[in-house]
Amino acid sequence: GLRRCLISMDMRRIEESFQGIKNAIQAKDTFQNVTILSTSETLHSIKPLDVCCVTKNLLAFYVDRVFKDHQELSPQILRKISSIANSFLYMQKTLQRCQEQRLCHCRQEATNATRIIHDNYDQLEVRSAAIKSLGELDVLLAWIDKNHQGTSA
Amino acid sequence: DGVAVLPAPQNLSVQSTNMKHVLTWSPVIVPEEIIHYSVEYQGEYESLYMSHIWIPSSWCSPTQGPECDITDDITATVPYSLRVRATLGSLTSAWSTLKHPFNRNSTILTPPGMEITKDGFHLVIKLEDLGPQFEFFVAYWKREPGAKEHVKMVRRGGIPVHLETMEPGAAHCVKVRTFVKAIGRHSAFSQTECVKVQGEALPL
Repeated sequence: GLRRCLISMDMRRIEESFQGIKNAIQAKDTFQNVTILSTSETLHSIKPLDVCCVTKNLLAFYVDRVFKDHQELSPQILRKISSIANSFLYMQKTLQRCQEQRLCHCRQEATNATRIIHDNYDQLEVRSAAIKSLGELDVLLAWIDKNHQGTSA
Repeated sequence: DGVAVLPAPQNLSVQSTNMKHVLTWSPVIVPEEIIHYSVEYQGEYESLYMSHIWIPSSWCSPTQGPECDITDDITATVPYSLRVRATLGSLTSAWSTLKHPFNRNSTILTPPGMEITKDGFHLVIKLEDLGPQFEFFVAYWKREPGAKEHVKMVRRGGIPVHLETMEPGAAHCVKVRTFVKAIGRHSAFSQTECVKVQGEALPL
């Protein structure tokens, strides 16, 4: 499962980076009553068997869409987002090695969960969707942490 | 942008030891003038997906000396591109870019400093504080034929840690190495140090 894949991940550093920008990013989110990640039936219903695949898909969602769609002018915020983005890139490589050992199988449930998130994203104008997704990074990080308690030991 | 009339800084290189990374370059010399430098970086993410984006370094945009502590900028275990330019008033040089991107997994890990003390019969170790990314693998044993080696993982340096209760008259030995989870590497072991209750540290 995920524990074997992300064992060397320094989640604490990523969480610190997010905490540094959370207020500034969430303040720019103009659609407060809409959510992209945290619809309760999406992430929290993921079964252990699907954790690795959903993590891989969500990392790709952020790396391929969210970070690219967000344009940031503040150097301080840019540094934090860069830190998170590059850490996600490293996590992707770690998961890639897992995939090669066939430990990251994608079932239909995992694919459906990912599609819901992409659909939520597509409902919004792209900059708003990116800002909202950045603001919900704590949901993703908490979910990864919960499904991978071994990292923070 | 200012016209590039200043020579660009040369000989960029990174020295990295124990996860402290310093970028250095040859200074640009203009007699009786003070040159400032600006350092910028790109992680692999920016290189792959947003190559037009260069991020001003945390501490050196601008700076005066021909070096820059980039430790707070290198926060992931991926290759980072780095560039520097010189500035004199409104005059600006071209950018000079580090020839090979830097990855923190190439940092030099040195054996940690340690201080072995006796508190009565108790063997106590205090390790060098190298920062939150460092854990310590401590091996200790009683010096006698066939002695079993014990191991303890210490999460943080800088605080005394009790290893074991010693037997009077027996020498007890310790060696330690660091482990950095973020890059999945450990240092070499330190020198072994032995102590004997009622005696001073013994040379090996």
